[in-house]
Amino acid sequence: MKFSIVVYAAPHSAEAAATAFNFTRSVLEQGHDIYRLFFFGDGVHNASRLSVVAQDENNLQQQWDQLIRDHGLDSVICVSSAVNRGIVDAQEASRHELGAVSAYASSELAGLGQLIDATMHSDRVINFG
Amino acid sequence: MTCLHTISKSPTSKLLSSCVSVLKPGDGILFIEDGVYYCSPAESGRHPGADIRLFALQEDVAARGLSVPSAADVELVDYAGFVGLCCEYEKIVSWF
Amino acid sequence: MASKNTNKAITFISRRAPYGDSNAQLCLEMALACAVFGQTVSYVFLDDGVYQLLKHQDARGIDSKTLGKALETLDLYGIENVCVDADSLSERGIRGGDLVLEVEPVSRTHIAELIDQADTVFNL
Repeated sequence: MKFSIVVYAAPHSAEAAATAFNFTRSVLEQGHDIYRLFFFGDGVHNASRLSVVAQDENNLQQQWDQLIRDHGLDSVICVSSAVNRGIVDAQEASRHELGAVSAYASSELAGLGQLIDATMHSDRVINFG
Repeated sequence: MTCLHTISKSPTSKLLSSCVSVLKPGDGILFIEDGVYYCSPAESGRHPGADIRLFALQEDVAARGLSVPSAADVELVDYAGFVGLCCEYEKIVSWF
Repeated sequence: MASKNTNKAITFISRRAPYGDSNAQLCLEMALACAVFGQTVSYVFLDDGVYQLLKHQDARGIDSKTLGKALETLDLYGIENVCVDADSLSERGIRGGDLVLEVEPVSRTHIAELIDQADTVFNL
C-alpha cells in the first residue's frame, strides 16, 4: 500500500508531529511504501536543522532527517509556508540573502502541486495536525 | 467507501459530535493523542452505535495514565494496528 | 498535469474560524491548487468554519488579508461545489443574508455523502 503523509503540526508544540513520525516509521516497518511526506503550515518546522534539545529529549527534526535518508523518502516542505517561517534551503537563503540555511537537505522545498500529485498517486493520504 | 476517522483532541473540542454527524455505517473511529480522553467512562454516552467500531491508540492511552477495560466498546491498537486500520478502511479523515 | 485516470474527487472541510490560526487559509490554498491541477473539488464550511463567510470582514487592522474576500477566488478557480452546513449556521445565529458568498446550506447527511464520494478528504 502506498501512503502519503501530510503534517501540519510543529515539533515540541503539538504531539501530532511525533504521531506522524511514529506512524511513518510503522508504515515502513510493515513493508508499505511512502509515496511522499508533505510538511505544510507549521509542519515545516519538522525540517529545521537548527534545533537543539536537552540530552534526555528526542530531537524529532533529526529523527525525521535520519528516517528520510535511511529510506530514501520523498520529503517535501511547502515553499510558501517554509520561507515565511524561516525554513530555507541553500537556494532560498542565497536568493533572499539570508546568510543561513535552516532546512535539512533531505527535504525539498516545493509547491502545493507536490501535495496534489501525492493525492493522485497514493492509495492512502493521512493528515496529522 | 469505508472511512476511518481519527480524532485527536479532548472532548472539550466537541470533535466527536461533528464526526458522528457525518458518519456512514461501517465507518470506524480511532482516538489518538488527546482524543483518547473520549475513552473515559464519562464520555461513553456520546459514543455512536454498534455499527461504528471504536479504537484507541494504546501508546496515547498509556501515556496519559488511562485504562480501557476489556469489556469497553473501544479496542486498543498499537502503531502497527493503526497502520493496519488505514489499510482496512478505504480512506482516512483526520479531525484535529 | 492530471490525466484522466489520475483525476480524483477531493473534499475539503474547512472547520476553523478565520484569523485565529492559519488553518482556514491553508485549507483554501490547498483547494485552489487542486482546482489548478484539474481535480474535482468539493468545499464545505462546517462548525466555526462558517465564520469565514461573514460579510463586512476587514482584517487590515490585524495586519491580515481579509479571508472573506479571498473566498471569492473559489469561484474564479472554477470550484462550483461549495456548500455550508445549515446546522452550524443556525447554531451560531447566522442567516443566509449575512454571507459573503452565495453558498448552498446543506444537511449533515449531504456532507456525509461528500465524504463518502471523495477519494481524499482534507479536514482542517
